[in-house]
Amino acid sequence: MFEAMLDPTGGPSATATGPRLAARPARLDGLVVGLVANPKKNAEPFLDAVGELLAAEHGTADVVRTRKTSITDPIPPATLDELAQRCDVVLIGVGDCGSCSAAAVADGIAFEAAGVPAAVICTVAFRVSADAMARLQGSPGYTYVTTAHPVAPLDEAGVRERARRALPELVGLLTEAPVPVVAR
Amino acid sequence: MTALAEDADRLHHARAAIEHAYEQGWTDGLPIVPVTAEVVEEFLAATPRARDEVVAAVPHLGRECTVEQAAINAAMAGCRPEYLPVVLAAWDALMRQRVVTGGGWQSTSGPAPLIVVNGPIRAELGINSAGGVLGPGFRANATIARAVGLVVRNVFGIRPQELEQSTQGIPGRFTLCIGENEEESPWEPLATELGLEPETDAVSAMLLRTCEFIDNRHTSDPEQVLWDIADTVARTGAAIGRHSSAGLVLGVEHAQMLAAGGFSKAEVQRWISEHAFRTHKEMQLAGKSLAGQEGPGLDEHGLHVVPDPDQIPIVVAGARNAAMSMVVRPFGFGGWSRTAHPIRQKEA
Repeated sequence: MFEAMLDPTGGPSATATGPRLAARPARLDGLVVGLVANPKKNAEPFLDAVGELLAAEHGTADVVRTRKTSITDPIPPATLDELAQRCDVVLIGVGDCGSCSAAAVADGIAFEAAGVPAAVICTVAFRVSADAMARLQGSPGYTYVTTAHPVAPLDEAGVRERARRALPELVGLLTEAPVPVVAR
Repeated sequence: MTALAEDADRLHHARAAIEHAYEQGWTDGLPIVPVTAEVVEEFLAATPRARDEVVAAVPHLGRECTVEQAAINAAMAGCRPEYLPVVLAAWDALMRQRVVTGGGWQSTSGPAPLIVVNGPIRAELGINSAGGVLGPGFRANATIARAVGLVVRNVFGIRPQELEQSTQGIPGRFTLCIGENEEESPWEPLATELGLEPETDAVSAMLLRTCEFIDNRHTSDPEQVLWDIADTVARTGAAIGRHSSAGLVLGVEHAQMLAAGGFSKAEVQRWISEHAFRTHKEMQLAGKSLAGQEGPGLDEHGLHVVPDPDQIPIVVAGARNAAMSMVVRPFGFGGWSRTAHPIRQKEA
């Protein structure tokens, strides 16, 4: 006696194709590292510290810095293109809020699609958001590196310590083909 | 079948449909109205817009919402078909907010859209602009706002504790649709201020991080009331770095007192911008030192928390029964769009 009840979910998809992962270099020495910082407190110092450690311990050649002006928006296409041209690998972070963690993952997937290996850093508090974004972008299980939450109140030494701890995983992510995690 | 048995049958199905919607995760926590294809056609008949026109999107999630999807969710929200043109205009307005087209719906601040309706359509649809305007009790206000929220949840897939990461959210998320009390406002309506012809049915919108009341029935001096408002606007808690934002939902008494004191809306905006100020010492006390930072609003003395007067939206709404107003906190530090969007109804 009743008609079918409509499903209200799902709209048309704005992006049809799923992203792909970029080929990884065997080693980082001599490579140019892009640093994509969002405007959250300590994001730039965190990435700078990783950049310095990469130069000191892995012989990277140079860094190219960029600072996103928006917490919520993905990286502007022109900035992404410029970095993709100038950099061999990129680091993106620090995702420590709902929209910026999701945006960081989306940026990472965009760099991978442009052929540049990317390592995204999110705090553990935002894994759910980061994973959901990866699924939505057609890249379920997209691998990123987590650091403890929060990052914003850390002092200079605290930031450096975090960067030091994250380093091995970041290097692994940039040099070995990441294995997608099925369930997290 | 007896009338009583028919009723029992209907009620059984109605309840089963509502429970089904819960099981599917389609609701915001409150029961929804089950929607059939026939119902959606009724809604689509109320708008001149094509069913497959995209009215809303979150580009970074690769998700878009068509007029038809908006109609399904509006019907589920409890809207009447004639509310759909308002819902669509609300999306037109929201899509002009940078934070909406970015990741604003996912923000830890859990912002709420404030939808402001101007024009004669308020009376036609029963959109409350007077007593209790920010509270419950009015179908049009409640369901138009809810229709926006159900699209965010169902079409964009942005759900709490998943992609939506609000730390606490704000009370009133997806319930904030208000009419401007144009009849008792001493100034021109918001939509007219923003460039539309007087009497145009229109929607303006912005995302809010919260709102906070000012109860000042203590004075008849407009500058004292403005000082009271500026004190709330200048809260350090609203500041991230040198960024803050503020708007006003002025109660009728405050608005009329300010106008009688010779203040235009623009002069109120300017006064608030000039006087909403925190010293460097005060910012330091809150752990929000601005040392070494530059930019609009910041000088050697401290911070003008909303340096651009144009970025202080003012709406008059509520009853004329007490001198109460609200400071609202638009989300997005670049400000709000300052646009009003006509409501396009189907020609009768």
